[in-house]
Amino acid sequence: MSGDSAASAPGRSGDRPGRPVGRTAAGSRWGRFFEGGLLQGGVQGSPVLRLFMRWVRRPLLPVMRLWRRNIQLRVVATTLLMSLGVVVLLGFVVIGQVRNGLLDAKVKASQSQATGGFAVAKQKADEAASGTAAGTGDGTAGTDGRQSQNVIPWMSDLVESLSSGGAGAFDVVTLPVGDDSGGGRSPRGSGYVNPSSSVPGDLRERINSSTTAAQSYTRIVYSNGKESQPALVIGKQVNDPNGRPYELYYLFPLTQEEKSLSLVKGTLATAGLFVVVLLGAIAWLVVRQVVTPVRMAAGIAERLSAGRLQERMKVTGEDDIARLGEAFNKMAQNLQLKIQQLEDLSRMQRRFVSDVSHELRTPLTTVRMAADVIHEAREDFDPVTARSAELLADQLDRFESLLADLLEISRFDAGAAALEAEPIDLREVVRRVVSGAEPLAERKGTHIRVLGDQQPVVAEADARRLERVLRNLVVNAVEHGEGRDVIVKLAAAGGAVAVAVRDYGVGLKPGEATRVFSRFWRADPARARTTGGTGLGLSIALEDARLHGGWLQAWGEPGGGSQFRLTLPRTADEPLRGSPIPLEPKDSRRNGGLDEAGLPGGAEKRATVPVQPGGQVPPLPPRSPMASRLAAVTPAADPTALPGHGNGARVVPRPTGGARRPDDRPAAGPAPDTHAGRPDPAGPDDSTEPGEAFRGR
Amino acid sequence: MGADREGGVRHRLGRAVAYAVCGVVVLAGCASMPDSGDLRDVESTPRQDTGVRVFAMPPADDAQPSEIMQGFLEALTSDDPQYDTARKYLTADAARTWRPEESATVLANGPSVVPGPQPGGREPIDSLTYVLSGSRVATVDTQQAYAPEDGSYRKKVHLTKDAKSGQWRIDSLPQGVVMGKSDFQRNYTSVNKYYFASSTKVGATGQPVAVADPVFVRSKVDPMTQVVRSLLAGPTSWLGPVVRSSFPTGTALQEGVSGLAPDDQNGLAVPLSGKVSRIGLAKCTEMATQLLFTLRNLTPTLESVELQGPGGHRLCDLTAERAESTAWHASAQSPEFLYFLDGKHRLVRLPTGSSGTSAVPVPGPLGEEGGKELQSVAVSRDEHTVAGVGADGKSLYVASLASGGSLGDAVLSSRGATATDRLTTPSWDARGDLWVADSDPRDPKLYVLEQGVGKPVEVGIPDLPGRIRDVRMAADGVRVALVVEKDGKQSLLIGRIEREGRSGERPAVVELRSAAPDLEQVTTMSWAGDSRLVVVGLEQGGVHQMRYVQVDGSTLDGPAPAALSGVKAIAASEDERVPLVAYSEDGIVRLPSGAQWQKVDKDGTAPVYPG
Repeated sequence: MSGDSAASAPGRSGDRPGRPVGRTAAGSRWGRFFEGGLLQGGVQGSPVLRLFMRWVRRPLLPVMRLWRRNIQLRVVATTLLMSLGVVVLLGFVVIGQVRNGLLDAKVKASQSQATGGFAVAKQKADEAASGTAAGTGDGTAGTDGRQSQNVIPWMSDLVESLSSGGAGAFDVVTLPVGDDSGGGRSPRGSGYVNPSSSVPGDLRERINSSTTAAQSYTRIVYSNGKESQPALVIGKQVNDPNGRPYELYYLFPLTQEEKSLSLVKGTLATAGLFVVVLLGAIAWLVVRQVVTPVRMAAGIAERLSAGRLQERMKVTGEDDIARLGEAFNKMAQNLQLKIQQLEDLSRMQRRFVSDVSHELRTPLTTVRMAADVIHEAREDFDPVTARSAELLADQLDRFESLLADLLEISRFDAGAAALEAEPIDLREVVRRVVSGAEPLAERKGTHIRVLGDQQPVVAEADARRLERVLRNLVVNAVEHGEGRDVIVKLAAAGGAVAVAVRDYGVGLKPGEATRVFSRFWRADPARARTTGGTGLGLSIALEDARLHGGWLQAWGEPGGGSQFRLTLPRTADEPLRGSPIPLEPKDSRRNGGLDEAGLPGGAEKRATVPVQPGGQVPPLPPRSPMASRLAAVTPAADPTALPGHGNGARVVPRPTGGARRPDDRPAAGPAPDTHAGRPDPAGPDDSTEPGEAFRGR
Repeated sequence: MGADREGGVRHRLGRAVAYAVCGVVVLAGCASMPDSGDLRDVESTPRQDTGVRVFAMPPADDAQPSEIMQGFLEALTSDDPQYDTARKYLTADAARTWRPEESATVLANGPSVVPGPQPGGREPIDSLTYVLSGSRVATVDTQQAYAPEDGSYRKKVHLTKDAKSGQWRIDSLPQGVVMGKSDFQRNYTSVNKYYFASSTKVGATGQPVAVADPVFVRSKVDPMTQVVRSLLAGPTSWLGPVVRSSFPTGTALQEGVSGLAPDDQNGLAVPLSGKVSRIGLAKCTEMATQLLFTLRNLTPTLESVELQGPGGHRLCDLTAERAESTAWHASAQSPEFLYFLDGKHRLVRLPTGSSGTSAVPVPGPLGEEGGKELQSVAVSRDEHTVAGVGADGKSLYVASLASGGSLGDAVLSSRGATATDRLTTPSWDARGDLWVADSDPRDPKLYVLEQGVGKPVEVGIPDLPGRIRDVRMAADGVRVALVVEKDGKQSLLIGRIEREGRSGERPAVVELRSAAPDLEQVTTMSWAGDSRLVVVGLEQGGVHQMRYVQVDGSTLDGPAPAALSGVKAIAASEDERVPLVAYSEDGIVRLPSGAQWQKVDKDGTAPVYPG
């Protein structure tokens, strides 16, 4: 596990879980669109709009950040909003009730008043009519003329007497029946009321068409510039002394009711404001009681995770928070204990291995000397014994190198390995390694080619360790190359140098690319070992690469050969951001379109190569549409899941497999790979989008 | 140590409880109605006007002729400033020639519309005649002066049907407006214009005397501007010969001024045009006095006026206090004492401001016990001199109110047959002249004694219809109220006094006019305001009652004084705050404002205020 995570270790160490960046990357497409559109300034469109958006969101960003991170703020804001809603709802209900109550009382009082007024008007008309009839009993003038004389002053008198009963409480208006200019009659109104605009038209129609009283609400319009006010208007059709109908209206201003209502409104608004503010304050206090211990626990947990295992929470009281603290402390205690135990155990084991190696060396030296003597004298032995002597010498060689490797590994495990870095030209190291491997290559009939050695490839590195790594890789390549050419490629770009060793042998089965670095792992246990490798070479190489702050990664496909790539930073303590050489070589089967199943997907996938060299798709969201499409096109997306499939031996389809499989670190890790190929060092989110867009064509 | 701490805790707890109790008490105070507190002024809210308004409507299309008539008459009772809506009922020619402001005819019950004689024939008629009829009550003339009238009103109105539009319109009608009495009272209000008496001056400084000249203006159509225009236009023709206006002839409101209204400091700026720029300050102050007196009549809260000449520059301004010192104004003079004759025939007096009833005898001969028995007295307006008529009504005496004097001989005597046919109650004017009438049926006369001491001069009354039963001089000395009896009926007449008009001629009372045409009997009367009298009389078919009348014969909207039976004499002052005093069956009673009649002296007679 730890050996496999070499490539991704630098990147992961800084990537704390729960960080906003992580959330954003893992968020849904919509979330990304929203945040990208509104908050990241990703609006597609005019630059003016984009500038505007940027200008708008700049002051908002800290607020949004606070919103995301502060649960107290969220709770208080939610409480405020909800209590505001409740208060508003309650206010509407209460105001509605009060309004209805006020109106009911007013309407009842007004109706009785108006009914009395209508009765008085009728009575006056009857009195006037009988008086006129008596007066004109002996008159000679036409009845029409006699009667009409009285109406003008009579009606004015009527309005005056009716309205004098309630100065300010109500006003009286008469209107002619019909439209505004009916029968030569003029409207009359008391108290500056404008009659025709104060009485609503539909009430007039109703009064015109029936003889019962009707009521409506209206606004009184005053002719003396007084502000208009809401009113209840009750009207009835009444006859004048001539028996001709007219409309009589009582207008009751609702000024008092309006005042009462606004008092209630003001009271409710004030009370509501207080309630909301107090609820907010209460919520703040309550949440603070809960959040403070939680924050403390979070801080303690952070410190624990940073390695300070002796940190403990302060526990007071016996409530739930105290229980949490106690449990937390107990957990920390146990963790510390276990970790201590494990550390002790691990230290003991390392020490044991180291001690064993050392202790074995002394008798081995003696055995070696004896064996050398026997080996020198093998000419004199019978063939069987001579063969045994040769075997003894060979196995002693292996034993020695195994011991040396074990010592080296135990030195790494103990952290005793020291890097002696100095600027060196990698070409020289490669040249030395290649020349050292020439004899073996000749035996195998393999030709080793070096590419990219036209220019110096300089990096700060430990030449001895580097040579050991490269020798290991080259010898491995020659051994597994089945007589085909081995290509060593050098490259330098963007603060990193890389050496890739490519062979065209049997290649690696899916999953093997990570397992090759495991200790004592063999691709085929049955295979003969011509060079007698110890099984620790790649492990040591990986430790060497890690000691340099670099990566060592493997790629391979069954039958298509494999490639091992060593990437080192140009200066010793600079973190790596990418590699100049793609992990998957250009001439891989996948890139060459030699899809085993003969599916036409190859052509499509070749397009990915320039953008995403080595197929190193960064960890996409698992449900990304692209990933599902890939899975659909190549059903063998997860090689380990489909071992029996015809083309399941491929290691390449990593976009999905790499993201899912925890042990597939070399694939998941080199997300920064893309940056090496693309000079624009944009954020990780940006880098995925063009890739997707490109691939989606 | 432990006890100390315990004590401290208890102390703190006690304090907390005390604070909590205080808080609860304060909150409880907020939660109940206050039963004590600081003092504050109450702002007066103006009473809402409930007056009825008629909103004139233009004629409807294809309105019937009767509807045209009805609508036109309604429009005349509306508040339309220039009667524009009413003019829409007229033909174009008639609208041009009709002048509504020329007069206003008041009919008892509104005009009745009677169709006139219709042209015969069956062809469609295009012209109609209506007759407006009713019984007249009064007329308001071009000068807005009110004059009671009686008789019947009958005017023709002619309608034609416009050939082109087919609409009926009025093409011939009487000038002026006509309306019912109640509409008139709603739409018009009486305002006193003030001028100065041409011949009367009072006091050592020779203050001019303000004379009220009542006119009627439309109360709902910018009354203030109307009143100012009317004031500038000069006095009404009845009063014109004896008063003068300080405004130079031709003075008018500036062009286009309307809607004059006091500002928030109750000041009013009046822009004048005409020859006002070169007017001296004294004259200008007089002008402002006239304006202020007049406008305070309409708006009692007005505090000051400012006259502005052409171009808006200030001519002068005047506040209400200074106006009172600029001109003598009867209603601003408050009499100090009420005088009456007590049971011992002494002249006693009672301070007007007091509510007590303990009258003290006046100094001088008339206040002495055992003096001359008197029937009636009159105290001069400066309250220095008193005139009395003997118990038999035969002789008139004048005496000083200063102590130590003696009653001299009679300055005037009557030859009437009976006590009731002899001298009436005398009356003083502001100049100090004493007026008394002799109601001898054979030779009725009115005398004036200059300054109360001169030789009695007979006053000419050219058109006196009968004999004078009572005479009361207005304070301004240019108007006189007479009760004239003829054929057993009395009427209240107001006359204008012209003196020294033509050199050498004796003073004369001219142009008598009725102030209370509906009264048959007038028992007694007294001036009760600048242009108001209080009268006790009998209406036709009615009972004796006391009421106020205007000098121009119009009736007032205000309430009559509380009823009192058996009133034989009444005394009132021009100052309305002074209580009304009457001599009735119960002796002398008085009516303080806002209260009921109170008895002052059971045995007293002949109550008078100075004047």
